Amino acid sequence: MAENKDEYRKPRPAVSALNRPYWDALRRHQLVLQRCGECGMRWYPAAPLCPRCWSRRIEWAPASGRGRVNSWVVFHQSYFRGFDADVPYNVAEVELEEGPRLLTNLIDVGNDEIRAGMEVEVVFDDAAPDLTIAKFRPRRASA
Amino acid sequence: MPLIEIKDRAAIAGVGQSAYGRRLMRSAIDLGADAIAAALADAGLKRDELDGMIVTFGTPIGADADTLAQVLNLKLRAYSQTWAHGRFTASAIQWAALMVASGMANHVACLASVSFSGLRRPVMGGAGDSEGAREAGGSHGEDPVFGMTSPGAGAALVARRYFARYGATSALLAAVPMAFRKHAALNPAAIMREPFSVADHQASRFVCEPLHLLDYCLINDGAACVIVTSAERARDLRQPPVYIAGMQPLPAGREEFIWAYPGFGVAQQAAFDYDAGAQPVYRMAGVGPGDIDALFTYDAFSILAWMALERFGFCKPGEAAAFTQDGRIELGGALPMNLNGGLLSEAHIMGWNHQVEIVRQLRGACGTRQVAGAEVIQWANAYGDSLIYHR
Repeated sequence: MAENKDEYRKPRPAVSALNRPYWDALRRHQLVLQRCGECGMRWYPAAPLCPRCWSRRIEWAPASGRGRVNSWVVFHQSYFRGFDADVPYNVAEVELEEGPRLLTNLIDVGNDEIRAGMEVEVVFDDAAPDLTIAKFRPRRASA
Repeated sequence: MPLIEIKDRAAIAGVGQSAYGRRLMRSAIDLGADAIAAALADAGLKRDELDGMIVTFGTPIGADADTLAQVLNLKLRAYSQTWAHGRFTASAIQWAALMVASGMANHVACLASVSFSGLRRPVMGGAGDSEGAREAGGSHGEDPVFGMTSPGAGAALVARRYFARYGATSALLAAVPMAFRKHAALNPAAIMREPFSVADHQASRFVCEPLHLLDYCLINDGAACVIVTSAERARDLRQPPVYIAGMQPLPAGREEFIWAYPGFGVAQQAAFDYDAGAQPVYRMAGVGPGDIDALFTYDAFSILAWMALERFGFCKPGEAAAFTQDGRIELGGALPMNLNGGLLSEAHIMGWNHQVEIVRQLRGACGTRQVAGAEVIQWANAYGDSLIYHR
């Protein structure tokens, strides 16, 4: 968080025609997932059609931003210069209430305090002027 | 009914390898040439009799099939090559078996040659992470935005979920790399031959926690090759044939994650209680897990051995942690695994070094690490493919 946000040095997302709405929504501090207009399925990552019924009647719709930690790892080795100062840092797989799982970094929690099933909520990290990333933190008592 | 009955119709007639080493500073083409020449000599085949080739790991780490054919001045009627991953070993042998069964080629060299020391920049893990840059993400779960990179991180994600779901521990997982290291100690070609203890394993640094350095395979240089031909032809060649009795192809889909069987519940897999049921490879070969004299598996990371054991029904989900204790997977145990030392201790030749060892075990040629009376040996992987060989 101490880094100069004008010189963002971590890897940037591979934004494509498929996933651009996801990244654009994050900049508005919205977490969105695709939803099938036929069968209602939600999924991640972005796809051109519903993985279940192949309908192309799909839309981007808000997600709750709530989920649980499904698994996690802690990197003790830096592979990217932009992460050098963060080691050891966590990467978690969060299962959203809607079902899909997102990879993310957990904040406001020590790496040794992370537990499977821990309830978490999205935090919008304005990492650079043109980039917002969905991170997660332990869910706070009923807001 | 299948168009071709393939059981026992194809065989391995020759095996060969180059030197294996951490930093040989030799090119992948150079190493590949050694392995191919050694395999042909082992089979008693002349260069011009080699008319097919399948390479599973080419540019930028390995040598490509077309280049090898040019450099070695081969006359290939048929060749193919997979996207550069270690997972395609069984696929290559299966396709080669179909090639010889259908007459598309008579003698097919299947191999990978790797020269990690010749790499100018990382391609798996890190700034040059080609997997992470892939549309819809990396095949081992890579997502560089969050610093998630390298195949080992995907395996660590599986290990953590396994520990959390079944109460297993890193200290129990140590039994896997310790067993393979003991086997490597008996293998002069192995790069890492010094046995270690659970305490050594626990004291080795974390790379991607919960996996320690000793849960990670080697990164090295080397090549290994097998020659697939028809069973009939193999009987006329120099070595006793090793027959391919069972084949199970490589699955893909939303319920598959490279390092976990369906139902395990990582990436976008549904979470449910997996039941190995009757895996097709056993039906085809006419044997069951209880008939397997030795098991070989793609052990890029120690946890993959647990996933393979459970996927193929050697034990139930959650039981591999206990199953692998007390020497059961060591030479002399009920199910010895990776007698060559595996990717964890012999060398990382994308699983081709395991095929070479399987063939030598079935020939009874492995000296102090020979599984006495080995007749049926299986190659079976966390990602679901398999081969069953017999002598």
